[in-house]
Amino acid sequence: MAVTTDGLRKTHIPMLDELLGGGMPEGTSILFTAMPGVASDVFGYQIAAERMKNDGDLCLIYTNTKTPVEIEHTFQRYGWDLRSSLDSERAFFIDSISPMMGVPAIGKYVVNDLKDSENVVKNAIPDVAGGTAVIEDVATLLDTIGVDQTFDLIRQLNEAARANDVNILYLFTRWNYEEAMVERLSGIVDCEVKLFSIEEKVIYRQVFAVAKSNWVETSKIKIFFEVMEPGGVRVFIPKVLVTGPYNAGKTTFTHAIAPNTVSVERQTYELFPTTVGLDIGHIDYKGFSADVFGTPGQERFDLLLEPLGREAIGTFIVIDSTKPETFVRAKEMIRMCRTEAIPKVIIANKSDLPNALSPEEINKKMALWEDVSIVPVSAMNKDGLDQALGTLFNLIYRV
Amino acid sequence: MDELTGGLPDNTMTLVYGPPKTGKSIFCYQFLRQSVAEDDLCMYLMTDYNLSQLEAQMMAFDWFIAEYIAKKKLYVIDTASGSVGATQKEMKNMMISFPQNPTDIVSKVIQELQSIYQEAQRFRSVLDSSTTLFAFNSPILMIRVLKSYTMRIKMAGGTGVITYTEGAAEPQIETMLKATVDNIIHLDGEEMTIEAMAGLKHTGVGYQITDAGIAVG
Repeated sequence: MAVTTDGLRKTHIPMLDELLGGGMPEGTSILFTAMPGVASDVFGYQIAAERMKNDGDLCLIYTNTKTPVEIEHTFQRYGWDLRSSLDSERAFFIDSISPMMGVPAIGKYVVNDLKDSENVVKNAIPDVAGGTAVIEDVATLLDTIGVDQTFDLIRQLNEAARANDVNILYLFTRWNYEEAMVERLSGIVDCEVKLFSIEEKVIYRQVFAVAKSNWVETSKIKIFFEVMEPGGVRVFIPKVLVTGPYNAGKTTFTHAIAPNTVSVERQTYELFPTTVGLDIGHIDYKGFSADVFGTPGQERFDLLLEPLGREAIGTFIVIDSTKPETFVRAKEMIRMCRTEAIPKVIIANKSDLPNALSPEEINKKMALWEDVSIVPVSAMNKDGLDQALGTLFNLIYRV
Repeated sequence: MDELTGGLPDNTMTLVYGPPKTGKSIFCYQFLRQSVAEDDLCMYLMTDYNLSQLEAQMMAFDWFIAEYIAKKKLYVIDTASGSVGATQKEMKNMMISFPQNPTDIVSKVIQELQSIYQEAQRFRSVLDSSTTLFAFNSPILMIRVLKSYTMRIKMAGGTGVITYTEGAAEPQIETMLKATVDNIIHLDGEEMTIEAMAGLKHTGVGYQITDAGIAVG
């Protein structure tokens, strides 16, 4: 008997249950669509492993990309026990990869020809009634047995799953398939979770979001995650960095976008306060939530920049629009934060002052090596903040 | 080759293909040797030999990479060891993958690119050989994978070589493969033909495999 709360079965993936209203109804399916390079197998394995451990689930794993031995190693690396479930026959493989690799097949069922997958898996689903089935990888099926046959297989398996209260988890690496086909695929499952990357030249963060669900209204919330060994999927709190030269108005800007920011400041000889620690705050902007870190601008704090830059998902570089002599320092700070490789927006602060340079003039004077957005802002008057946040988050989420 | 073309154009992907035993792997060794000479980083995806075999094969030409490896300039993804079930502790520049699991291969490529990008804006890459990957996967899926691979390498600033054994896949797959890359070099054992390269006309030249590698002329 499956463990349910209000008729929903937990996925045990942090934040995913919350987004799904508590979990999955019995007999439903989730398609995990992953951009190449983003971990997707861990989602299927984590749900299976945690359910076997906590909910006493029966599980089957159909594989056409990893041999059963490799899958067992992968479970071990994440710190999950598959062996004892295999030994007690509470979990089993449907092995359709070993015959192709020319190694002995391991599993309760063996598929010698991928075309037979549908029948074999369909007949195996009653063996895990009330439990969980992991199907990996849909991409191999699409490109080997064909699109129509794969759709047919998914429909048949979903029907068998509904009849047996089994949750099916499809893992799908989304190579350059046609948009229309992928949309149709999403249409034949109960729920689709998209896994994608946040990138700027290289991928540096992974995100998941519920793209569709038949049982709960979906929100646009995107969850940053990282994969730990051991541990599996862990939610990551994204950090936005605010940096720039001394006295450009970073703290004022940070407070303006994150009103609850805590600052560590000290009066300087010049009689205005300067940051000697970090400004730390939090923003919620259109379903996006992030911690904000404002760095000091003085050179003696430069050592802080690199580790902060490594953690950040986006950067605001605050400059004083009236002081072109500080632009060289701003460029140097971009380099030190290693922010060449993450989305960045230049905040042309103090734009309300009469001698402020326009974004075009700043672009020219800074001699930027690439196209970086420059947003005129007056942090003091809270002007241009929405455009600043919108510009950065559009850069981060342009997928 | 360098005299012929001025070298491979920066930030492009080159397909080196031809029948078996025509020097495709040697082309890769030579490309890696140049990386050593110029102190570039190199990402090497090997499907038919492991790192110590690569080192031994290069030593036959008096090319030594031990120091280069020790300096962590070489980033390896080894699917040859993975295919025989070898497991080892992975490091950020030494990874094992599996020829039948392109999802895993590309995910390791991307992990290594993250490290490489922290070190350098330019680097080289080698994939020797795509033939093995075609043997283990649906050919159309492999084309998708190589597209994704090429896009990732170029985005991160790399200049790369992919080898392929002529005739291993159907002609229409070969056509698609050629459409995936920027430059195409054909080796037939005697003649090296530049079938496509940015800014160059179709051109060919004789070559021999000597103790010093590929010698043109």
